[in-house]
Amino acid sequence: MHEVKMNRKKDKGFESPRAVIPQCVNLLCHVYSHTTHQVVCINNINFQRKSVIGFVELTIFPTVVNLNRIKLNSKQCRIYRVRVNDLEAPFIYNDPTLEVCHHESKQRNLNYFSSAYTAAVSAVDPDAGHGELVIKVPSELWKQGDEMNVLKVYIEFSLDQPKGGLHFVVPDVEGSMAERGAHVFSFGYQNSTRFWFPCVDSYSELCTWKLEFTVDASMVAVSCGDLVETVYTHDMRKKTFHYVLPIPTAASNISLSVGPFEILVDPYMHEVTHFCLPQLLPLLKHSMSYLHEIFEFYEEILTCRYPYSCFKTVFVDEAYVQVSSYASMSIFSTNLLHSAMIIDQTPLTRQCLAQALAQQFFGCFISRMSWADEWVLKGISGYIYGLYLKKTFGVNQYRHWIKEELDKMVEYELKMGGVLLHPTFGGGKDKDNPTPHLHFSIKHPHTLSWKYYKMFQCKAHLVMRLIENRISMEFMLQVFNKLLSLASTASSQKYQSHMWSQMLVSTHSFLKSISNVSGKDIGPLIKQWVDQSAVVKFFGSFAFNRKRNVLELEIRQDYTSSGTQKYVGPIKVTVQELDGSFNHTLQIEENSLKHDIPCHSKSRRNKKKKIPLMNGEEVDMDLSAMDADSPLLWIRIDPDMSILRKVEFEQADFMWQYQLRYERDVVAQEESILALEKFPTPASRLALTDILEQDQCFYKVRQGACFCLAKIANSMMSTWTGPPAMKSLFTRMFCCKSCPNIVKTNTFISFQSYFLQKTMPVAMAQLRDIQNLCPKDVLNFILDLIKYNDNRKNKFSDNYYRAELIDALTNSLTPAISISNEVRTVDNLNGDVRLILEEITRSLNMEKLLPSYRNTITVSCLRAIRMLQKNGHIPSDPSLFKSYAEYGHFVDVRVAALEAVVDYTRVDRSSVELQWLLNMVQNDPAHYIRHKILSMLGKNPPFTKAAESPLCNEALVDQLWKLMNSGTSHDWRLRCDAVNLYYTLFGLTRPSCLPLPELGLVLNLKEKKAVLNPTIKPEQGLDTTEMTGNTMGVHIPVMGFTSSFNTVEEDEIDMESPHDSQAFIHHHLNILERPSTPGQHPVKHPARIILLSDNLVLFFSRTRCTSTVDQAVLSLPVTPLPSSFGKESTSSSKHSGDHHHHHHHHEHKKKKKKKHKHKHKHKHESKDKERDSHAFSNSPASGRSVRSPSMSD
Amino acid sequence: MTVAVHFLFLKDDRSATPVFSHGHLYVLQRSGCGKATSSPAENYQLARRRTLQVVVSSLLTECGFESAEKATVESLTEMIQSYISEVGRCAKAYCEHTARITPTLSDAVVTLNEMGFNVDTLPGYAKRSQRMVITAPPVTNAPVIPKALIAGQKRTHPSHIPSHFPEFPDPHTYIKTPTFREPVSDYQVVREKAASQRRDVERALTRFMAKTGETQSLFKDDVTAFPLIAERPSSIPYLSALLPSELELQTLEETDSSEQDDQTDSENTPVNNLNDDPGADKENSVLLAGGVVPSVKVSEENMIDNPYLRPVKKPKVRRKK
Repeated sequence: MHEVKMNRKKDKGFESPRAVIPQCVNLLCHVYSHTTHQVVCINNINFQRKSVIGFVELTIFPTVVNLNRIKLNSKQCRIYRVRVNDLEAPFIYNDPTLEVCHHESKQRNLNYFSSAYTAAVSAVDPDAGHGELVIKVPSELWKQGDEMNVLKVYIEFSLDQPKGGLHFVVPDVEGSMAERGAHVFSFGYQNSTRFWFPCVDSYSELCTWKLEFTVDASMVAVSCGDLVETVYTHDMRKKTFHYVLPIPTAASNISLSVGPFEILVDPYMHEVTHFCLPQLLPLLKHSMSYLHEIFEFYEEILTCRYPYSCFKTVFVDEAYVQVSSYASMSIFSTNLLHSAMIIDQTPLTRQCLAQALAQQFFGCFISRMSWADEWVLKGISGYIYGLYLKKTFGVNQYRHWIKEELDKMVEYELKMGGVLLHPTFGGGKDKDNPTPHLHFSIKHPHTLSWKYYKMFQCKAHLVMRLIENRISMEFMLQVFNKLLSLASTASSQKYQSHMWSQMLVSTHSFLKSISNVSGKDIGPLIKQWVDQSAVVKFFGSFAFNRKRNVLELEIRQDYTSSGTQKYVGPIKVTVQELDGSFNHTLQIEENSLKHDIPCHSKSRRNKKKKIPLMNGEEVDMDLSAMDADSPLLWIRIDPDMSILRKVEFEQADFMWQYQLRYERDVVAQEESILALEKFPTPASRLALTDILEQDQCFYKVRQGACFCLAKIANSMMSTWTGPPAMKSLFTRMFCCKSCPNIVKTNTFISFQSYFLQKTMPVAMAQLRDIQNLCPKDVLNFILDLIKYNDNRKNKFSDNYYRAELIDALTNSLTPAISISNEVRTVDNLNGDVRLILEEITRSLNMEKLLPSYRNTITVSCLRAIRMLQKNGHIPSDPSLFKSYAEYGHFVDVRVAALEAVVDYTRVDRSSVELQWLLNMVQNDPAHYIRHKILSMLGKNPPFTKAAESPLCNEALVDQLWKLMNSGTSHDWRLRCDAVNLYYTLFGLTRPSCLPLPELGLVLNLKEKKAVLNPTIKPEQGLDTTEMTGNTMGVHIPVMGFTSSFNTVEEDEIDMESPHDSQAFIHHHLNILERPSTPGQHPVKHPARIILLSDNLVLFFSRTRCTSTVDQAVLSLPVTPLPSSFGKESTSSSKHSGDHHHHHHHHEHKKKKKKKHKHKHKHKHESKDKERDSHAFSNSPASGRSVRSPSMSD
Repeated sequence: MTVAVHFLFLKDDRSATPVFSHGHLYVLQRSGCGKATSSPAENYQLARRRTLQVVVSSLLTECGFESAEKATVESLTEMIQSYISEVGRCAKAYCEHTARITPTLSDAVVTLNEMGFNVDTLPGYAKRSQRMVITAPPVTNAPVIPKALIAGQKRTHPSHIPSHFPEFPDPHTYIKTPTFREPVSDYQVVREKAASQRRDVERALTRFMAKTGETQSLFKDDVTAFPLIAERPSSIPYLSALLPSELELQTLEETDSSEQDDQTDSENTPVNNLNDDPGADKENSVLLAGGVVPSVKVSEENMIDNPYLRPVKKPKVRRKK
């Protein structure tokens, strides 16, 4: 069965009745059975052993006659027995994602891995009717097929020390499990329910649920649905929690958490219950006091009641993500809880709550039809979350957030290539890759890089906003309401499971709703932003034509570089003139770059008059700075961010200054702050200072102005007059009137001032004098702030403020002047640094005695110490950070310490630390930390593919390969992180540090395909063949080739001579045989197949291959693998350097081949003898033979 | 008494040099002074002292001593004087304890008993045969108590105090006379002081902790410079990181209490009025101080229908059994 599965073609459907076409509009038509109800019963949860025992019972409706196999998802569960309608049923358990590439494979290129991984995930994709667990329906039940009877599938399973899906937190202290605060909760990224019980782990397979959990009497089990009753067991030592979830729900939305939780019934909504770990109840009460307002907000805008009859929030330690939403419950990180004294965490926690709740409506209650429709759910939940932000935190915050998200996403897309919201995988050719620029496949959520997924969500809600711009918010909310009311109607249809598909949203149904409700065609918008990846990059500049009184605006686009696309359509331009602000809508067309915009006002008039702004306000301006000939104050392109774009606009410095001072939109202000960095003039300084002082201005703009002012001051160093930037301002705002060197005692009553007070010292510390040192004045000023900080009369905690003061000290550090390469000692410590170090030491020590909230000060101190090390003031040493990074510290501290270790690893190129980090990735109990280490390594890599490094060696390649291949099979996210890191370090192709392959030939069997099927013409040009389904590569390393570029030449040859491929292969097989050294191995295996394809299998079978070949086939990854051939060869061809001449004059391929043969032979004899023998004796099993007489026939 | 004499003997055996005791010196000084000034008070005391010496000498004679050094006699005199003074002081105390001003016989008896003297032996001792008669001390005038220095004007009685009540004491006994300097109220100095004091305390404290516990060091050459208290992994790290420290709680309680009242009032829903719950534990008081929503109490379970608050059911009895 195994081999059949591997070699089967997708559209042949195998024997699985459920497996048909993966991408279909209505899955229910193609999946041949449907689960209507599932019982999950967990009888025992053992915290000591970290094990779980239970059973599930699925009620399955066959939708075809003769349903003989049922496929379910299950990972890492040990399955004891399976019964179908009380009859024992045989089953097969096979999880191809456990080990993506066969461990014997020596192939180390990422393209190969990615395609193998995608194939493995596809092979168990429930949306396509696959699964890890295949149950054979007992033949007695087959006959019933005609009657379409219900099948009850009963599965007993257990989990022992699960690595994924369920996370046990068992603190190592005295006492019973409840006293220790031990708890367990389900977690995972996307479909991860299969990790803890067998199910159809798909978002589109809805059924009703009965959940039972028997736990210790001191514990509480929180799960989805309504708690019907809690019953003691007979010995009264345990209780069973009975949950019923009558609303059809996908298995992926089921969760569980068990622990000695403290229970808080929401005082405003009694159907809402909050759970937290022991001792945290006061924090929970405070943090949750706001939740009812979020409920009210969503219910009001959606004009729909919260769909579930209850809602539960559970706060757990070592959470996988901060927020995860499941049907009628959400699991949060316990670190979101805070007391009333904490300022900074409050909005963050509220935002998390709002996100969780938005996902309850869209994501849990309404699920998705397929992975390609994910963007709709993420988009809607993100969009309504944005509405909540706007209502609660104000329009400024909302627009700032939109800009931030847009910038983040645009930056990512430009760097990494596009983010595609709605990938379509063309019909049968499901290997058409819509995103060839990525090093991973976006076909499944499980193959995505985490960062990509984040950006995906970001883009989704931005696109929703674009749709809102097009059809108005009213219609938008009507659409949501329609989706919800359809779903709630469907959900109440208890016994008509076919109706339940109304609870699934698809791109198609969503767009249809939009067009029904609004009557507008948003097709082009969807095509541009949803069906297509990439963003738009505009460059704008202008000239004012005085004679015609016309503004000549030029808008160019870059649509050739990666991640960009061409935009055609309307664009809004706002021009602020002396007479007022005017909006113009321009059409961006194919070839028109220039746009003439007539101006309304004549240039400067003498009489002073107030200038009307966009919002109707009229202000006095000092117009002396502006160009006397032009009436233009400032120009903005696409001010409403109604295109997903990056705009680089050029206008004069005074225009930016006017824009900063007088434009009331925070986005415009932030843009001008960014632009003013390039204009270090006294006028810019004045404009920024004015903004800083203006109370009405949005605090984040003022924070931005601080940093810009610091940069400007540094650029103006020689001409700067007066005290250091911001110092007098700070003194005026925050210091005592009578003694200006002493800061007022903290009150933090005005949060705007609080944030500014936090930021200004940090920005000031970036100032530098002519020696490129932080001015003494500034340093002393900051030290005084620390010294005189007095929080005794404050009802808020000052921990964030103190942490930022430490950050300010860190910012003030400059590289040490070292006379020679001496060892850093206490004695030659610079005086200022000594003061700084003193403060840091004291603060860090005080944290041990009086820890601050979330240990913010420790975090800042660790960063400061790393900075001191990096700048050469103190000896560079990772041991301190390593001790802080150990399990048992607060997670923020660990992350900060790990960041320092990662940085040390890069700077000092330390392989010990890298090993230590990778070790932690494999062994740390906290999943978040593992993920964080890999992502930090990816962000700040110890080396990159571009540069040489002593760290880059074969062992590391193997280690990372192992990590992503099999070491991370329990966590989708972690595996993708490992892939990302591998990509960052080694790129897509074979890592350069690997020893040259002993068998350097890569054999491409593409043309073999051509021979077999002459109707398919092989593609010309290597780049287009990459990752395509028809291209199957066999990489056969051939002894004697010293480097991979030889293979390039082979490729080029065979690409050009598809008709002659038979001869080519023949030739190569001859080559393969030749170097085998007699007597070295009992069975002479002259070559190894590293990559195989079904094509090759076909080929082999045609040529009546021997059993040896069959074995070779068996040892390969499970499913057909697309070749990564093209890219590898193109990129390696770049390295070919001195061998380029081969490419230029391959006048005759036969001649060429001879040349090759010759060369190959020569090399073999001269160099590679030892290596060959070594390779074979080391891994005899890997040396599958392709030598067969039939092949050379 | 006997012990004291015995002690004296021992002393005599050991050394021939006279033993100078404190009392001896005292007497010398006194006598010296007496001659110089010879005030009536002085004379009065000297006369009594001399009588005591006579008593001691006669007792010694009675015991069979033929001679005694002067110093010894002085010591014994001092001892007997102390003894008698103590008897007097105690008797006075007993009498005052019972709200009288003149000691009675019973006061003296109690005192003697208390001091370990068997009063019953006293009559026998008094009537012993070989006792010597001692002449009474010469009659001298009791010394006049010198007038206290009058400081300031004594207050007269206010109208509501009858005149027969004692007079007010001297004003200096009840009037506040500041003996310290006015504290510095200059804001800058206060802040400066508070800051440096806090810093000193913190530094001392952290140094102490660093000295007494494990440390980590930033420098390899000098591990004592900038010592860092070694981090210690905790089993439940989130507790200390999330819960406010004692100090912060204090601050919170100190800062305006008016505000918390407002907040709790406004946030009390009709169903959840439970601020007067006497059993509020520490956590709840913290909570209320923070001005957050009221909690749900056991007493209210009836009012709130939440499945998690419902009592756990007993298992059903199986029919099989």
